[in-house]
Amino acid sequence: MIPPVDRAQRRAARLLRWYPKAWRRRYGEEFSALLVAEFAERPSSWRRTADVACSGLLARLTNTGLTGGALEPAAQIQASLATLCAAVAVFLAFALAIWSQLTIGWQWSRPDTAPTALAMVAMSALMLLFVSLALLAALPVAWGVVLRVRRGQAARLWVPSLLLLLGGVALAVGARHFAQHGWPGTGGHPWAGRGVVSGAVGSFTWAATLSISAYWAHPNVLLSFPAAEVAWMAASPIAMICVVAGATQIVRRLDLSPRLLRYESRLGSTAAAAMIAFLAAACLWIIDGGGGPRSLFQTGAIDVGGLVVMALAFAVAHRAMRLARGAQPLLAPPR
Amino acid sequence: MASPGQPSGIEPAADTAVALGGFGRYAGPATLILSSLAEAPKHGYALTKDIEAFAGVRLAPGTLYEALTRLERQGLIEAIESDDRRRPYRLTALGISALRAHLDMQRRVTDVGLRRLAGIEGVA
Repeated sequence: MIPPVDRAQRRAARLLRWYPKAWRRRYGEEFSALLVAEFAERPSSWRRTADVACSGLLARLTNTGLTGGALEPAAQIQASLATLCAAVAVFLAFALAIWSQLTIGWQWSRPDTAPTALAMVAMSALMLLFVSLALLAALPVAWGVVLRVRRGQAARLWVPSLLLLLGGVALAVGARHFAQHGWPGTGGHPWAGRGVVSGAVGSFTWAATLSISAYWAHPNVLLSFPAAEVAWMAASPIAMICVVAGATQIVRRLDLSPRLLRYESRLGSTAAAAMIAFLAAACLWIIDGGGGPRSLFQTGAIDVGGLVVMALAFAVAHRAMRLARGAQPLLAPPR
Repeated sequence: MASPGQPSGIEPAADTAVALGGFGRYAGPATLILSSLAEAPKHGYALTKDIEAFAGVRLAPGTLYEALTRLERQGLIEAIESDDRRRPYRLTALGISALRAHLDMQRRVTDVGLRRLAGIEGVA
């Protein structure tokens, strides 16, 4: 028979698992002592369990910059920017999957409805904006990494930098290969000049986001594809995760000046606005139903699912941006 | 906003009132905790019992520690070294200023509310 004190301590240890490791290291012992005292006074309470679970999850969210008032202003902005970076990356993966299918369709023929054509032009312009924002955001951060390497202070940046590089190279090489040797009817055709963007760009982004596909729900069809393409569909998300994990960890670990934090926040706000505009354009296409000619722009369940994921990614990005902006006035004034 | 790194000698009253407001749904627990610690340093369970006694509110453990974590990060309270598993906390100078500013603001709101209520009751 287990003594009541041991039982209480085990219960406390189980509840503690809701909290992140760093929190447990700092507060775990005293929090367990409080829980044991609480159990002695009130042996069971579902409200207490729910309260501990919610607080534990909130403590986990704190490190992502998605809860306000829990971090120093600079740390809050930096954590929020890292989360924003991840949310925009998820949004872009699904946005690219939708957009590349449509741009490839336009290589064959122009959409026969004005709303779909308008949505396509808007999405293409927004993709250009996303690329520009990504470059503008990445350049000063990359320069910061280079400076740290030159000063020999980049010990904590090696792993994320390596993840980012390896993931990026794998994604670029694989996407280029499958864009040129893709399956029939899509990749490899020199369609340049017939659509809103060049065929090379369309097929490259299509190959990079090949894993975002409704074929996962149809294993029999999937088995009929060449093994190398199925392997790429399974492996490319890992490369994407490496890129995103590397980028967010660099943003979190690099010491960003208040000035740079403000600059990145401004870019983040612009990215959030672009996300809304892209969602609106994608909705316009889905409401219009896409269609022809020859069902080139037809919508499917995967597109609606993609839109839902993009909306969730936007909600996270918006929350992160709101908290980053809220912490900005509390930063040290620029010199 | 006042921060732990704020130089001494700066009067943080107005800003720290905002800081407590920035605690969102933890502003209530934060005020209760700071008020309890204004008497003497206390550990988690002692805080729960004291707050229950003077405010009639029992803070659940998760809520209590969420507020304690935030208060400590903002430099309004600090942990005292202890051999016991139950670590006591005490107010910092910044915490004292923050609590005073927050309670002054609450008193102003209370005074206005009571005055206006008295007006309504007088008319009735």
